[in-house]
Amino acid sequence: MATTDTEVNELIKREYEYGFVTDIESDTFEPGLNEDVIARLSGLKKEPEWMLEWRLKAYRRWLEMDEPDWAHVGYPKIDYNSISYYSAPKRPEDMPQSLDEVDPELLKTYEKLGIPLHEREKLAGVAVDAVFDSVSVATTFKEPLAKAGVIFCSISEAIQDYPELVKKYLGSVVPAGDNFFAGLNSAVFSDGTFVYVPKGVRCPMELSTYFRINAANTGQFERTLIIAEDSSYVSYLEGCTAPMRDENQLHAAVVELVALDDAQIKYSTVQNWYPGDEEGKGGIFNFVTKRGAAIGKNSKISWTQVETGSAVTWKYPSCVLRGENSVGEFYSVALTNNYQQADTGTKMIHLGKNTSSTIISKGISAGKSSNAYRGLVKFGPGAEGARNFTQCDSLLIGDRCGAHTFPYIESKNKSAIVEHEATTSKVSDEQMFLCRQRGIEPEQAVSMIVNGFCKEVFKELPMEFAVEAGKLLEVSLEGSVG
Amino acid sequence: MKPAPTLSTAFLHPAGQSLPEPLLALRKQRGTALVDMPLPTRKTENWKYSSKYLKLTDDMAISLPAEGKTGSSLAVPGYKVAFLNGVMMPEACEYPDLDGISIKSFGDLSDDEASDLADRLDSTLDNKAVQMARLNSARFEDGLLIRLKPDAVLDQPLFIVHEVTAEASGSAFPRIFVDAGRHSQITLVEEYISSGSAQVMVNTVTEFNVAEGANITSVRLNMEGENVQHIGSTGVLQQRSSRFESHTVGFGGPLRRHDLQVRLEGEGAECKLNGVVVTQGKQHYDNHTTIEHVAAHCNSEETYRNIAADQSHAVFNGRIHIHQDAQKSNADMNNKNLLLSNGAEIDTKPELEIYADDVKCAHGATIGQLDEISLFYLVSRGIGRREANVLLTMAFINELVEQIPIEAVRETVQGRLNHFFEQAFQEA
Repeated sequence: MATTDTEVNELIKREYEYGFVTDIESDTFEPGLNEDVIARLSGLKKEPEWMLEWRLKAYRRWLEMDEPDWAHVGYPKIDYNSISYYSAPKRPEDMPQSLDEVDPELLKTYEKLGIPLHEREKLAGVAVDAVFDSVSVATTFKEPLAKAGVIFCSISEAIQDYPELVKKYLGSVVPAGDNFFAGLNSAVFSDGTFVYVPKGVRCPMELSTYFRINAANTGQFERTLIIAEDSSYVSYLEGCTAPMRDENQLHAAVVELVALDDAQIKYSTVQNWYPGDEEGKGGIFNFVTKRGAAIGKNSKISWTQVETGSAVTWKYPSCVLRGENSVGEFYSVALTNNYQQADTGTKMIHLGKNTSSTIISKGISAGKSSNAYRGLVKFGPGAEGARNFTQCDSLLIGDRCGAHTFPYIESKNKSAIVEHEATTSKVSDEQMFLCRQRGIEPEQAVSMIVNGFCKEVFKELPMEFAVEAGKLLEVSLEGSVG
Repeated sequence: MKPAPTLSTAFLHPAGQSLPEPLLALRKQRGTALVDMPLPTRKTENWKYSSKYLKLTDDMAISLPAEGKTGSSLAVPGYKVAFLNGVMMPEACEYPDLDGISIKSFGDLSDDEASDLADRLDSTLDNKAVQMARLNSARFEDGLLIRLKPDAVLDQPLFIVHEVTAEASGSAFPRIFVDAGRHSQITLVEEYISSGSAQVMVNTVTEFNVAEGANITSVRLNMEGENVQHIGSTGVLQQRSSRFESHTVGFGGPLRRHDLQVRLEGEGAECKLNGVVVTQGKQHYDNHTTIEHVAAHCNSEETYRNIAADQSHAVFNGRIHIHQDAQKSNADMNNKNLLLSNGAEIDTKPELEIYADDVKCAHGATIGQLDEISLFYLVSRGIGRREANVLLTMAFINELVEQIPIEAVRETVQGRLNHFFEQAFQEA
């Protein structure tokens, strides 16, 4: 009996697996935001004058903007002056060049997360630009990438080393005045990833960044910029976990993708930030602006996302299809449990001739959560022969959750064709009966059915992510059945 | 930031003091609430695509005079009620005294009846979602109250013709309230027409209170002229096992807006909403529908088709809201759109908001043009390209037109559609 009790207690105690705080001294700013803070941040990163100007301009725009309130989410008002806008691991000046030089504390953190860097390096052939809080601390596989001519570095480095590229493309897809959170990010972005794939190059490996939010009270403002030159190809993976916190943490990232003629960018995300506890306390606010510009002819941008974490998600990875024959894709699984709220979807803006886009969105709501798909498909007058197919399905688990669909469809071209369909249903009693009859536990059965429901999206994920995603759903659904 | 425009105070002065006291009091109270009412702008979600067409000038604030002659375009057998500029014209009405059915102008109500009605006006509408219907409540000068006692059946359709005579600028505020008792039945046709060419606004509110087991069929034809801005709101409240069927056919104008809100409050209630819209020139049409599944075991089915030609603009917004206790709901919404020209625009937003898990909900929306292969098929068999276009476009909406249960209405609609096709496919 004793063992069973211990086991039960263990199980009860098991909450967010990745909830822990790494004990590393941080170089953190006092909370508050003003022009001085931005100047200090920029100075600390030794940024050139034009970058500071750019940030300040964005900040002044941001001051005039209103926080959006149209999303189907509710959260307490954020005091942007109670947030600290910079936090870096100690000793920023002596960055480790290889894993051996990395602080063992950090390595332990990664181990707890199940990402043994050195193993991953060799076995998976994945270069990891790991972002711990805000400054890149470990970059691997730089050499083979350099040989191919691919630039893969932190955005801070890129500002120093490749100012022309950054100047040309930063803010070209998501301008600072685009929306409230993008404006904030433009003013205070701390670090992020920069990828440049030159003409005709197929990036030899999947690029990947692991984000971690660590020090308490620190907003994380990542900035990612990926440029794919003519006839190039790159696949980028992004994954997130965060330690447990009682106070809400704000995350406002901006991701910009630029695809030129015949280029292809594949961007995959697995997002597993702390969603808050069962009472809906704590959790990350995830307000992200992601947009890709398919500028070139025959270019292609593909977003794949698996969203299981965050207390509040506000995220619409979008494609602006400007080039002739360009293609946009959006594959998404969004799972919410307990008191999580998600308002996510995509925008497909068709401007060029014969552009086409596909949207497959799967929403799963459990517990008392709310999950909304919000999408826009727009055909401009020049979108001759453009085509869109949209399918958004929702699955409800439990009778106290909500699933919503808000698709906006606008067409100004007669030869453009759009098809949209959506369904909402629950895990059917028949399916459950079939599984139960064969001796499968209810929780496992639901997990199986949900996995089947999401299969269309999972098959778009790179292998290692697909496995992780399946597991993530299982963990996230724990306790939602029975 | 520029402050949002508000409703001009000129619009807050109702005419016509011949209503019973309780209704006058209600009107006054509603009017007071409208002081500083913000007008919809591009940022107002439910007017996002249409606010730019709303042009209310102060000279449109006065009520159009309730005098003159009326003439319906529907010369049909059935019972008739005529409204002119929002006021009922008894001499043009034709309906017998029927057992269990009372059809009365608001002006003829006793104080008791009027006070009962005053309590119930606006009760079927979500006033937050239909801002502009509030203007009707503050301005109506007359109205039609139809009461059906339990088991009463109106044996023929009731045609209600709303005509505005736009000799000078002004507004009209027609209003209908239908109180359908248990297991009663009625088929009602609302037809909106106009004469004259001055800039006018028609702001209508029609409400249906549908008791247990009652069966209502509502047809709405919008055929006003190019000088009429039309803002219509229809509210439906359905009790257990009742049925509501609606057919709307709309031709575009400078501003055409219809809000249709159905609340399924009793178990087993069902509704079926059909709509056809055609626009051409620089016309506009905006249909907003909401179906609220409040009780369990209700069914709803919605089909809307839009055709936009030239530089016109057609909008559809359909919302299905399944409340937490509305288990075993079935809801199906379908919106198909045909864009006939590159200058035209179609915007559609089929929304689902679902809070119950054991439901079956689906929606679909498409925007496209006529299928080239079908066109080729017809042309290769010797049918002219223009006729082939007309045939296929007709087929696109005929499915809905054919479901209108009254032959005379179908014919009127068909005639107007033929006229539309002649213009839309002039030289193909």
